[in-house]
Amino acid sequence: MTGSALWQRQILAIVSLEWRKTMFARRGLWVYALAFLPAILFGISMIVIQRQQASQQQVLVDSPNAPAVSAAIKPGITINEVTKLLGDSKVPYTRFSRGRKRDFVRYTDGTNTWELSFRDGALTGKKNRTEARLGESILAFAGVFQYFFLRLAIFFGCVGIFMNLFRGELLDQSLHHYLLAPVRREILMIGKYLAGLVATIAIFCTSTALQFFFMLGPHPSREVSAYLNGPGWGHFFTYLGVTALACVGYGSIFLAAGIIMRNPLIPAAVILFWEGINWFLPTMLKKFSIIYYLQSLSPVVAPLNSDIPEPLKLLVTTAAPIPGPLAVLGIFGVAAVVLAFASVYVRKLEINYGAD
Amino acid sequence: MSNDLIVFDNVSRFYGEVLGVNRVNLTIPPGITSLVGPNGSGKTTLMNLMTGLVRATRGSISVRGIAPDQPEQLFRILGYCTQFDSFPRGYTGFQFVNASLMLQGWDSKKAEANAWSAIEKVNLVDAAKRKVAAYSKGMRQRIRLAQAIAHEPEVLILDEPLNGLDPLVRSETIGLFREQAERGAHVIVSSHVLHEVDMISDQVILLANGYVVAEGAIRGVREEISDRPHQIVIRCDKPSEMASRIFQFDHVVEARIHPDFQGILVKTTNASQFHKLLNRLVIEGINIETIAPADDDVNSLYEYLIGDEGGKL
Repeated sequence: MTGSALWQRQILAIVSLEWRKTMFARRGLWVYALAFLPAILFGISMIVIQRQQASQQQVLVDSPNAPAVSAAIKPGITINEVTKLLGDSKVPYTRFSRGRKRDFVRYTDGTNTWELSFRDGALTGKKNRTEARLGESILAFAGVFQYFFLRLAIFFGCVGIFMNLFRGELLDQSLHHYLLAPVRREILMIGKYLAGLVATIAIFCTSTALQFFFMLGPHPSREVSAYLNGPGWGHFFTYLGVTALACVGYGSIFLAAGIIMRNPLIPAAVILFWEGINWFLPTMLKKFSIIYYLQSLSPVVAPLNSDIPEPLKLLVTTAAPIPGPLAVLGIFGVAAVVLAFASVYVRKLEINYGAD
Repeated sequence: MSNDLIVFDNVSRFYGEVLGVNRVNLTIPPGITSLVGPNGSGKTTLMNLMTGLVRATRGSISVRGIAPDQPEQLFRILGYCTQFDSFPRGYTGFQFVNASLMLQGWDSKKAEANAWSAIEKVNLVDAAKRKVAAYSKGMRQRIRLAQAIAHEPEVLILDEPLNGLDPLVRSETIGLFREQAERGAHVIVSSHVLHEVDMISDQVILLANGYVVAEGAIRGVREEISDRPHQIVIRCDKPSEMASRIFQFDHVVEARIHPDFQGILVKTTNASQFHKLLNRLVIEGINIETIAPADDDVNSLYEYLIGDEGGKL
């Protein structure tokens, strides 16, 4: 067997040897933690919101006339009058503020949740406590996806997984087993890269899917199915695609860093900085980053990170997103160029464990 | 260039400013060749150069006509059992050997059959399904050897392959080397155990401080060393008479009677002349039982050529 059939078989052999090692490595547990942190947070949020909704539903059941009387509750009204209007509200509670007693009544009129605060028996505040609407949840998801998941979770996950494919084995002193096989070094690199992709795509796409469905979880099924039957499924698959492309792009860079650099954390820090300042870069320079293409592909424009101080927001430049196919080609192009560059180094790679 | 030779042509390798090997010119024929030298003499560097794990700073290497920078061809005919005592995590012995065969591009049936056959050759069948991490040092050595021979290579390179093996396994392993050499393979072994090198080698390469000090069949190398008298042990019935007779000749520099008075140790600067002289002595009535060289072994070669200068073996 020669040529491409042999290469395919060798690549398959490398992927099958590597992917389990990569996915189930004990030292890679932190990657799972990082990948599933947003899913866990969305999950907790879903549970909390569902419990709140259950309690609101309880109030609604106990106060069937609430929508009608909602408008009648105005400042100055007493707690007894409110209780009379609403019937026996099931969620009254008391808090002390600066030593003074404050009474609260929470109720829902079916659309909004209101929290009424009373001081000395008279209404002093009426706050809308309506839980997030689906539209807001979708925006929140877009923010978490673009500002945390892409920029940090996938970025560092790829650092942890792809850099170890070569550098980790040099440190373990086990890379020579591969270099003593009748495999072209480039084929070895591609096999390892694909194994890394299998692992990262499996981990991060699972997390993306969980986040998405946890985000939808607390919302009424009527709204959710309307969303899914509209743009929702498109968003879902686009997010999965962007996640996979992020692994393709960052994976190639960190695989190359693991081959070329003795201390690959230095390029990781440099790239993190470059991707981090992407907001402030001129439009032309933005195009030399992975995050630019990923954001172009994201189906929902995320609101600007509220953590950015106001003066810096003035420096933020917006570049028109490039068309989807071009963005996809851009990422594959970057990955191909980086891997071609790394292949020059991998051919020269020597085993000198003492020096590594 | 002949395709059944391993050829080093003026090869040098430096690690920064540190010398690995320098100006190595070697032509190694098939058979068992031992690399002998003290720590740091360049044995492992020479093996790593042959296998492409390190690259020559200068010069060129050909392993049966293949350059070491062509792994896809080289490792079809070459197996290397390194000194690195590390394995991919979580592998059993069988998985370790089988994985290397899968990388050959073989189908899984053929790979498994060869893996079991190699594991059987090193007597590790019972432990093959256990994790390598739980193996003893000797077992790890044997499973590495199994991996190196599993694809039936024409060139087998073994860095300290007898380390950690008990005497019984050592002799079985040496038998395995002979088997490989008898089918026409190159077997290149580095070892610190000189009497074993002596037993198994068809030729030796003596290294010191990164230079090849001598190469060739042990006896041939010994004959090249002219500044050291040859030592010959003769078992005979009249050792005293023999001693007095042989001292008449200039090339005999020392004769020592054996404590049991049944033999004599002679040091001569001209071995062939001395053997002719012995014929005459036999005719003249001295009954000679055996004649044996006492210093054409690796130990003596090592002492003569490297000695204290080479440091500890």
